[in-house]
Amino acid sequence: MANRSLALQLDEVVQAMLVSLQPRREKTPDRELASLARVAQELRDLPREEFRTALKSDLQRRASTSESTAAAKAGTGEEQVGTVHYMRPGLTSITPYIIVRGASQFIEFLKTAFEATERMRVPAPDGSIMHAEVAIGNGAIEVSDGSDAYPAAPQAIHLYVDDPDATYARTLQGGSTSFYAPTDDHPSGDRWGAVKDPFGNHWYIAKPRGWTPGPEGLRSVQPYLHLREAHKMIPFLVVAFGAEAMGVHASPQGVVHHATIRIGNATLEIDEAHREFQPMPCHLHVYVPDTDAVYEQALRAGATSIEPPRNAPYGDRAAGVKDAWGNSWFIATYLGNK
Amino acid sequence: MATRRPARKGSAKGVAKGVPAEARASAATGPQDERRLVEAAQNDPAKFDALYELQFERVYAFVASRVRDRASAEDVTSEVFHKALANLASYEWRGVPFAAWLLRIAANAIVDHAKRAAREFPAPDDPPEPANDLVVQASEMRAIEHRAQLFRLVEQLPAIQKQVVLDRFVEQRSIKEIAQRLGKTEGAVKQLQLRAVQNLRAQMEGSNG
Repeated sequence: MANRSLALQLDEVVQAMLVSLQPRREKTPDRELASLARVAQELRDLPREEFRTALKSDLQRRASTSESTAAAKAGTGEEQVGTVHYMRPGLTSITPYIIVRGASQFIEFLKTAFEATERMRVPAPDGSIMHAEVAIGNGAIEVSDGSDAYPAAPQAIHLYVDDPDATYARTLQGGSTSFYAPTDDHPSGDRWGAVKDPFGNHWYIAKPRGWTPGPEGLRSVQPYLHLREAHKMIPFLVVAFGAEAMGVHASPQGVVHHATIRIGNATLEIDEAHREFQPMPCHLHVYVPDTDAVYEQALRAGATSIEPPRNAPYGDRAAGVKDAWGNSWFIATYLGNK
Repeated sequence: MATRRPARKGSAKGVAKGVPAEARASAATGPQDERRLVEAAQNDPAKFDALYELQFERVYAFVASRVRDRASAEDVTSEVFHKALANLASYEWRGVPFAAWLLRIAANAIVDHAKRAAREFPAPDDPPEPANDLVVQASEMRAIEHRAQLFRLVEQLPAIQKQVVLDRFVEQRSIKEIAQRLGKTEGAVKQLQLRAVQNLRAQMEGSNG
């Protein structure tokens, strides 16, 4: 029993590390547990095997194809290396791109309700916001004012916070309407509340408590797509983006009650549209290692083209596709400052 | 409100421009073995593999300890090895361990990475660059060596324990999900996690003793 107890205690320590993303100073008079916790703490930085293998392959290719070039440039220290910085700094693999009427007011709402930080704002000549980037927790949202070409497209966001009750209260003060107040009875096991903001976006405000797939150590901001025939979205994302379904809860008939899908280092969630949670076709910004390849894969998976790959002036290789549900996926590979 | 934020593992802005030669970053192999490997790779870049295998954990451990998230650690580590491969001919054997040369590249890459991020996303609340971060202290090097050794030992765990460690700490999966994937109970997964960490601790103590 003592050993079992230690297993539980260690897992509590590990859970705290992964959820808080911060090494928590434990009051651990138990020296045995404390020394195990130190090992666990160091394991948080364990490299991904896939990365180790992929980098080795990449170096092998480079070594075999550029032997003479490398030798010629050696010693200068100036060589521009082949880089895998495919994500723009500050963004992850998936970022919601919310187009609203009144982007400036929307950003103020995000600051007040979620303690968001505005990181970038690019105004249009008419004073509206052409593009803005806002950090919330360890995630981000991109924002722009709607136009004829890109009408307002609110979306649903699952937001992990430390205090869902206080956050929920602030959203109401900011003019949101409640779907339901934070409750411990949500099927996920998390404390979970839901609101609709004055701009039409849904916010599912949660604190991870139970062990639903996905939230540990992941992003504060996760797009949540309510879909008709949600089960068909999973193979689309697998083929188009190389996504991984991390946890699929479906009825015996195959209706998806909830699924977490990972692309790169971020996740999104989907479910079958129900009650007031109906489809909200939205825009998502997805960073991938190879925009051209993903664009082709997405078309093969049934998407239609919004724009073919191009080198965008802001330094991304960028393309756009629309899926069968009407969601726009803006595919990008960060080209760096070079 | 405090939403969850990524761990701020030290300042990513103030990092070493130089790693002292006495950093004791020599590889597990002897200096002569390492020198032969370096010379072989200088003559034939295809043989860089062996150096990569020898140094990957050390470089990654160093970078991961100084940047704020896994994506950055991977980006910078990748950059370090690409630069090392491209500039291998410039490395001269003067008794300076190859690892120290690599970590000097890494330190500069971390600075560049932080500057890139700061230029695009200035964070006014970040503290100024502390002067003492300009040198990698011997104590930090010992910590990096320790962590690199731990990473290598994970490879030697029994397969099921290794899987649990990777799922839990790298993929950050829940106990419940790991249990589903492995067809085990959640209690069994927690026991496997405990045994894996105990194994690693015992081997670390053995290797340090």
